[in-house]
Amino acid sequence: MSNYFYVAPEQLIKDRAEFAQKGIARGRSIVAAIYDVGVLMVAENPSASLYKISEIYDRIAFAGVGKYNEFDRLREAGIRWADGTGYTYSREDVDARALANFYAHHLGDMFTEGQKPLEVEIMVAQLGNKFRPTKLYRIAYEGTISDEADFAVLGGDAETIKGRFADLEVGHLSLSQTLKNAVSALAGPDRHLPVEDLEVGVLEDQGDRRTFSRLSDEQIALLLT
Amino acid sequence: MGLPLFDAQSDPGPSFVRFAEMTGLTLPPSTSDLSAHATTVVAVRFAEGVVMVADRQATSYYVANRDVRKIEAADRFTALAISGSAARGLEFIRLAQLSFEHYEKMTDSSLSLEGKANYLSPLIQRNNLTTTLVVLPLLAGWDLAHQTGRIFEYDGAGGCYERQDFSVIGSGSPFADSTLRLGFRTGMSRDEALALAALAIYEAADNDPSTGGPDFVRSIFPMMVTLTSDGFRELEHATAAETFRLINDRRAESGGVAGGALR
Repeated sequence: MSNYFYVAPEQLIKDRAEFAQKGIARGRSIVAAIYDVGVLMVAENPSASLYKISEIYDRIAFAGVGKYNEFDRLREAGIRWADGTGYTYSREDVDARALANFYAHHLGDMFTEGQKPLEVEIMVAQLGNKFRPTKLYRIAYEGTISDEADFAVLGGDAETIKGRFADLEVGHLSLSQTLKNAVSALAGPDRHLPVEDLEVGVLEDQGDRRTFSRLSDEQIALLLT
Repeated sequence: MGLPLFDAQSDPGPSFVRFAEMTGLTLPPSTSDLSAHATTVVAVRFAEGVVMVADRQATSYYVANRDVRKIEAADRFTALAISGSAARGLEFIRLAQLSFEHYEKMTDSSLSLEGKANYLSPLIQRNNLTTTLVVLPLLAGWDLAHQTGRIFEYDGAGGCYERQDFSVIGSGSPFADSTLRLGFRTGMSRDEALALAALAIYEAADNDPSTGGPDFVRSIFPMMVTLTSDGFRELEHATAAETFRLINDRRAESGGVAGGALR
């Protein structure tokens, strides 16, 4: 017979949290911010095909940091949930808050009951309209959900980057200025981030039903000058 | 609906229909035969793309609706038209639109035009073999990879065939088809293709009681669409009105006789 050792619940939670934090800290960060007419998401991502930011629905976007396979599975589930809900009811009934809550439940369950907690931190962003507000929901590895007012930072170095960005961004600025601030907050004082290492997604009304767009390297370079 | 997570073995992939079936979002096919149907839709290739024209009438034992939209944009560069059961047809369009968008979001790349055409085959097959409400679609679009307009038509069992010239669906097909056969030339201009396609619908409406012609009383005119490198464009009401008024005036001048030149 094998021996079972008693582990205090406090210790168990602490160990699991440390494990998840370590995994998340290994990856690069993401800044999401509301600008005057939309929502901007900027990731430091050297890969041009393994995206961290993507479209979920007409006015909803997703961003994730940490283990790629884990947050990509959450992204796919989000798209399925949104398309399924819109198909069953109406496109207007797809709400980011409901999706963020589902994510929070799942991450919370995995943290306490899963084989291991998910090493991810995710964000659900919603571009507002007449019926719904513009929102940024940040969901942490243990299922904590927070409703961020103007901007949010995901990833290991979040606090430092958050501080740098808060110093630059006052109120809701233009897309170009917000992008500049986000990039300089991500880079910090000693680094320069080349355009090829940036992944930028935007939610903005352009007259179409779908509002998400991915900015190309040329578009990013133009906005940064 | 909860958060739809799947393990790697049971994952439905980027297909919305497979996902919807697995989770019970789509209802089992009905066996009722209550339906409004009968239609004529034509698609004609021209030098820079494809034009499509469709009548607007839904017919059961009587006229059920006079301003149905039988052509819809499946996405920015693709149009989908339906004939047959209106109920199943509109659902078919909704499912196709959603499927193409779902695939695009899941994989971060759009389906090729041929991929979209092939995707519809099993949907048609399943619908037509399991219900008495038959739906036949017509898919046309601008192929971004090959920079050309393309038309795909289907048979009742889901077979998909690409057409190089033109295609016709619906109860008024024989009359529209004859008009297009006589009038079609390769490399037509956009305006020539639109005029010919409109004439085909006019002929179909003239001879088939279940196809609605231009309705000058209510100012409802067949829907006219172009698919080019600019994507899906629906022509304005005034343009469609003018096109059909011209045909009608010529026909009145000749006392209703269509023969002679194509007019």
